[in-house]
Amino acid sequence: MHEITILVQLVKLVEKEAKVNEIAEKIDTIVVQVGQLSSIIPKYLIEYYPNVTDGTPLQGSKLEVEIILANGLCHHCDKVFHIVKHKGKCPICGAKDWEMLSGQEFILKEIKIRENTQ
Amino acid sequence: MSEFKILEIKKNIFEDNNHQADLLRKDLEESNTFLLNLMSSPGSGKTTTLMRTIEELQDDFKIGVMEADIDSAVDANTISKTKAKVIQIHTGGMCHLDADMTRQGIESLGVDNLDLVVLENVGNLVCPAEFDTGSVKNAMILSVPEGDDKPLKYPLMFSICDVLLINKIDVIKYFDFDLEACKKHVKKLNPNIKIIPISSQTGEGMDEWCNWLSDEAKRWTNKN
Repeated sequence: MHEITILVQLVKLVEKEAKVNEIAEKIDTIVVQVGQLSSIIPKYLIEYYPNVTDGTPLQGSKLEVEIILANGLCHHCDKVFHIVKHKGKCPICGAKDWEMLSGQEFILKEIKIRENTQ
Repeated sequence: MSEFKILEIKKNIFEDNNHQADLLRKDLEESNTFLLNLMSSPGSGKTTTLMRTIEELQDDFKIGVMEADIDSAVDANTISKTKAKVIQIHTGGMCHLDADMTRQGIESLGVDNLDLVVLENVGNLVCPAEFDTGSVKNAMILSVPEGDDKPLKYPLMFSICDVLLINKIDVIKYFDFDLEACKKHVKKLNPNIKIIPISSQTGEGMDEWCNWLSDEAKRWTNKN
């Protein structure tokens, strides 16, 4: 439901980077990383991307989404485990007391730029 | 033929907004203005709670209110019955306010003569949590009829707030709402959050909430 506003924010950041690096005309693909527990749904990001980028320097470019797994560090046995797969419970000792190491990210990873060669 | 070059960026997409929010906080510090960002679902009692809060604090502070909604001026009309200075912000379809929109609101409200400003954010537990508005403190209201499982469903919102008001506590006996379980879920997400059960109808808990807000605002504005 909030993917459009989040895309607007992404476009702003890419426009800024494109200006600094003077690549506005050559953008081919934007690569973002989305945490599994970020509450951002990759399917909708991709679906709305053409609409949000319409009329911007990103128009016609592609969006690639990479998922960052949700990992937690168990406070009892110090093991790192996959929070979603194990439903918030450490698979080694069964504790529910852990801290999240990853899974809430929303990162602009890289911009793929077209380079024309002969 | 064309080939690709990769420009590595590795930046948080909310970075620009976070930076704008920090700048706004700095300006607010210089103008001795405390900004509270008040968030909740639609219908949790934000406006009623705010009315009561203004009545309690209007002798100690010069209060301003920014009402943010997608459309209408219903809430601003209600608040205009108090002594607070009020403006309505229309987000034009957006489901939250970002730091830029908050700054525009602050500028059109004019904070030179205000020391406590409340931003009543759009009723929504998802998007407002993702965008730092530049507020000094974040508060949220969860009302009893919404259920004690909301911290599990909307963890980010509960993680970023400094204070949680559990409203409509006067009707808790009619709902299957486990207050202790709710507090436990919230504390796990955010051990430092202050939780205050209130009723904006009966006034229960309002003193504790107003004292908290008053202390925080005084600390920020150096007004003792």
